[in-house]
Amino acid sequence: MTCDELIAHLSSYIDHEIDTELAAEVREHIAGCTNCRVVLDTTQRMIVLVHDEGQRAIPAGQRSALFERLQRTFLDQPPAPEADRSV
Amino acid sequence: MPGPIIDLTIYDSEEQLLAGLRRREPDACACLIKRFAPLVYAQSLRLLGDPDEAESVLQQTFIKACARLDGYEGRSGLGSWLYRIATNEALMQLRRHAPRVALDDVAETIQADEIPQRTTLWSLDPATAALDGELRAELEKALAALPETLRVVFVLREIQGLSTDETAAALGLGESAVKVRLHRARLRLRELLATYMLGH
Ligand SMILES: [Zn+2]
Repeated sequence: MTCDELIAHLSSYIDHEIDTELAAEVREHIAGCTNCRVVLDTTQRMIVLVHDEGQRAIPAGQRSALFERLQRTFLDQPPAPEADRSV
Repeated sequence: MPGPIIDLTIYDSEEQLLAGLRRREPDACACLIKRFAPLVYAQSLRLLGDPDEAESVLQQTFIKACARLDGYEGRSGLGSWLYRIATNEALMQLRRHAPRVALDDVAETIQADEIPQRTTLWSLDPATAALDGELRAELEKALAALPETLRVVFVLREIQGLSTDETAAALGLGESAVKVRLHRARLRLRELLATYMLGH
């Protein structure tokens, strides 16, 4: 397996979407190729980092004007049917 | 001028919050927004890459949620329910970009600049790293710098945790297109972050 081939299979390898024969070739290649080993390792780290960061909210304080606008829009919605419509 | 003082403690369970919302209590609306808007906004921004569009998705999400409250059965939790509405809104918004997406007819081809260049190991271990503000900003910047065709697939798969076929269905793409775009997005993001990581 060449470096280019390894890069082409990188994602499928990470997602366990290649057959065992090809996966063995990938492992054999990275055992002997520092560059590809680093690319695989850093790609996996990037995925973890972005996933963790992606679960984070933007602090409300940072965007307080936005959240105030939102609250106003929300409260301007027609009230529940039984509620008084007077403004 | 000080904003309204919101007592978040009066709704200490989701059921109580929901009951307040159904009575259209202003405090309940405020509480819902305080609790969920920051995450809904963050997710919409990552998907759309545009603050104005993310804000409009955020507004539509809460307006729709408000209108559909009576049909909400509470099975999935308020957070994931809102989150699903927001994803649908964001996808609808993305479909309005259709011409821009269609122009990218090379979306399924690896580009020369995606071949890994920086092959130095990162010292940072994501499992133990307490992310500093700078790295957070760098991650968001790198995501925003991805072309839309790649970013959308990446966010749905890696952040929202959709499967390949769910992503394909949501975007009207084939599964192989989803896989290639995810692959390209990963290579690009790795490269974008590598520059930053070298100095850390
Ligand atoms: Zn190699």
